[in-house]
Amino acid sequence: MSGGMSGVWRIPAALAVLSTVGLAAAILGDGFWDWLCWATLSVPLAVCAVKLWWQRPGQSAV
Amino acid sequence: MTPASLRGWRLVHRWTSLICSANLLILCVTGLILVFHHEIQHLMGEELDSSYTEGQARLPLQSLVDIAQKADPALVPKLLSFDPEDKAVNYIYLGKPEERGFDLGRWVVLNGFTGANQMLKQPEETLVGFLLKLHVDLFTGFAGQMFVGVMGLLFVVSTVSGLVVYGPFMKKLAFGILRFGRGTRIGNIDLHNLFGVATLVWAFVVGLTGAILSFSPLITGYWQKTELAAMTARHPEPMTGPAVPIDQVAAAGLAAFPGKDLAFIAYPGNEYAGSRHFSVLVRGHTELTQRLLSVALVDAETGVVAEAAGTPWYMTVLMLSGPFHFGDYGGLPLQIIWALFTIVTGVVTVTGFVVWLKRPRARSASDRTASGTKLGSKA
Repeated sequence: MSGGMSGVWRIPAALAVLSTVGLAAAILGDGFWDWLCWATLSVPLAVCAVKLWWQRPGQSAV
Repeated sequence: MTPASLRGWRLVHRWTSLICSANLLILCVTGLILVFHHEIQHLMGEELDSSYTEGQARLPLQSLVDIAQKADPALVPKLLSFDPEDKAVNYIYLGKPEERGFDLGRWVVLNGFTGANQMLKQPEETLVGFLLKLHVDLFTGFAGQMFVGVMGLLFVVSTVSGLVVYGPFMKKLAFGILRFGRGTRIGNIDLHNLFGVATLVWAFVVGLTGAILSFSPLITGYWQKTELAAMTARHPEPMTGPAVPIDQVAAAGLAAFPGKDLAFIAYPGNEYAGSRHFSVLVRGHTELTQRLLSVALVDAETGVVAEAAGTPWYMTVLMLSGPFHFGDYGGLPLQIIWALFTIVTGVVTVTGFVVWLKRPRARSASDRTASGTKLGSKA
């Protein structure tokens, strides 16, 4: 999973790191940690939503 | 990766996913609603009464036990359980005097400040109880719970194998490409890949913690039969006289672990305590430390702590699996995030199934005469 494959993994790996940080954050404390959790865990969901919106059926191919 | 091992991973991904997909859909739908169980219980008037006036003192535990016992004087107290989130809610288990387990008796729920007795409704009688039962054991008890646990493990294998086959598939494709104009199969593959890889860590964690929670009777049973049994076996003295008041037992247990809160108290003679020793289990009170239990054996006749210990790593893993499965450790925003991830996981489940339904068939004679690629030709 290196060399030619690295491009495939760049974004999924970033999303995985954000998810891990987010899942762990809120258990460590309240306040700042909750905000960190909400912010980081929202990114994978936002990526899904944005990708779906821009390529929704009926859109002309980009 | 060699083509043979990739083929192997594809088979693993296909079959683990297919076997758990029906159950997974039930888990997604019920779980999506259960994320908001507090809010639903509030709306349905099913929540427990935890009201008390500011500054009001807690009732002594002995008073609560006495009130509970009035509900069924033939039964004796066996276990007290304290809600970490809601200080007013106390659960008291009453069982037959000779009972060592927790199957034949009943739970009484009391408001710890007012002593108000709250009948626990049967799970089938409330919406949340019904959904929870469906989620946990499909209304089939212990066997069903083990079945759901195995489905959870299959789901975990399916997420890992899905990640393995994602790489080679996406080698020449941009991240997040959605080719909806290229037929049912390709559209579903793309959506499955994007949603699946984006939410993989969440799905892995929720699947694994769900499986661990399914196996919780086995995990706590193992702890009870090994470390806890060894602890109580070191104090085999029988009861010869009356027991000290339960509040003195609780105070002794708490004094052994300064700064901790009560979690459970097991009475002598049941399987989580000694023959003449109470087990007092305590926990911390931060999001993290309320999941770490410690236990003190308190002599029922002298009120003295005989032995105190932590709990083994697998009990901590079990306790920590709760928040990471329920998503209840970061307020309402995290509950909403949890619900959205659940919806995405449901989409991954359905699209994956569609991809399998629309799989290219083994080439038949008629296919071979047709020119061009069959893949994705149907709109």
